[in-house]
Amino acid sequence: MTKYALYPGCVMPTEQYAYEISIRDALPLLNIALVDVEGFSCCGEPMKSMNQLMTLYLSARNLALAEKQNLDLFVPCPMCHLSLSECQRALENNPEMRDRINSMLASEDLQYKGSIDVVHTINLLHDHIGIEEIKKHVKKSLSGLKVATHYGCHLIRPSEVGRPVDSENPQKMETILKVLGAEPLDYPEKLDCCGAMLSANLPESALTKTGQKLQKVQDQGFDVFVDVCPWCHRMFDSKQVKAGETVAVKLEIPVMYLTQLLGLALGVKKEKLGLELNLSPVDKLKLGDK
Amino acid sequence: MGVVDLTSMAEEQSTLRNEINERLLKLKSEISDYCFQCAKCTSGCEAHKLLELEPHKIVALLKRGLIDEMVNSDVIWTCMSCFKCRERCPQKVAPVEILFALKNMAVASGKQIPGKYTSMLQSILSIGLIQDVQSVSNRDNKTKKRDNLGLPKVSKPLDAVKFQTAITKLAVEKI
Ligand code: SF4
Ligand code: SF4
Repeated sequence: MTKYALYPGCVMPTEQYAYEISIRDALPLLNIALVDVEGFSCCGEPMKSMNQLMTLYLSARNLALAEKQNLDLFVPCPMCHLSLSECQRALENNPEMRDRINSMLASEDLQYKGSIDVVHTINLLHDHIGIEEIKKHVKKSLSGLKVATHYGCHLIRPSEVGRPVDSENPQKMETILKVLGAEPLDYPEKLDCCGAMLSANLPESALTKTGQKLQKVQDQGFDVFVDVCPWCHRMFDSKQVKAGETVAVKLEIPVMYLTQLLGLALGVKKEKLGLELNLSPVDKLKLGDK
Repeated sequence: MGVVDLTSMAEEQSTLRNEINERLLKLKSEISDYCFQCAKCTSGCEAHKLLELEPHKIVALLKRGLIDEMVNSDVIWTCMSCFKCRERCPQKVAPVEILFALKNMAVASGKQIPGKYTSMLQSILSIGLIQDVQSVSNRDNKTKKRDNLGLPKVSKPLDAVKFQTAITKLAVEKI
């Protein structure tokens, strides 16, 4: 078993339970052990529009907590992953800022050293575990499943900060899905944003962005839309009906977390993986019935 | 200290404002030579069609020093942080970073903060997360919570007071 500390962030552990459940159900089958750590807070990314120093401080604080475990950090949320990666880069390049942040962290007996890696679901599966290893564990092929992937803006950009996948032609999720037997297909709107960051102040516009993308996906005859971000999933799955209303279309597209499909392919029972929590019509996929 | 105090303490926030201003001036001097107004940023901007955001104009206005005008405008709050402008600019100008600095300045100047940002900050101050654990419905309309889904307790700051003190300090002064 390879151990990682789990950094859950805010959205996944407070409402996007299907992501967390499927992560906890599926990854141990690939010899990954997740260690829960007490004391984490928000990564700071949602506060970037209000106070960027707060973002930097919060990220450094979480990294410092994880460093105490001496384990690399598994970060399933792309927003958190970007914030933590950007913080590492900023404190690496700016020793003065690093000293200031550390003097503040001292009040909680913490110190940022920069000694660990942060890993998202996609590079954990694709690069750390590896496609060959995943292949060995596939029990039920997802054959015939036409998949549209959605990576999420924060996972693919800005590449200057160092992201786990390519910014203009991300393919790691496709490679993972292919080894599970599914048929991922590129589509023109693949890199379009879900709009989630506008939910705080312009919720109608946020839903319109979601609706516009899903409408295109539905029109192109995909079986399922797959994502790896709790913010995006909240838009595409949890709020799908409302998103459809903003573009005057009845949306009925199954939306799943990659880790849910992974779990099914690895032979996890369909009663697990939090599948009851997807609000989009995932039943029509007849997954796990074969 | 409540959020209202935090975000409206115009006087005490002068150091923070100075810091953001320095950041904006640095962005101004860094971009003024490089941006040639090709508008590639705007052509790919996720908020362009829907909300009429034009990142190349944000850069142009910064070049002319019209910072206050932008800080007072609602348009800076239409950016959805997709980072396409930063990724695709041929000159490595990052309009999205200018927008973050402008929004930070609006907040530090005691302007009205739009939407749920204040409640998110309030929540961070009290429990460390932007929201507390929610009950959700499954497809059969049954209510579910973390504990009846077999998930462990949520990770939160252990010493709320120490955590709050540090964050409060950050919100009002330069570190
Ligand atoms: S910021 Fe970059 S992409 Fe936008 S107009 Fe200037 S040079 Fe062109
Ligand atoms: S980050 Fe903001 S300004 Fe830049 S392209 Fe995206 S929405 Fe437009």
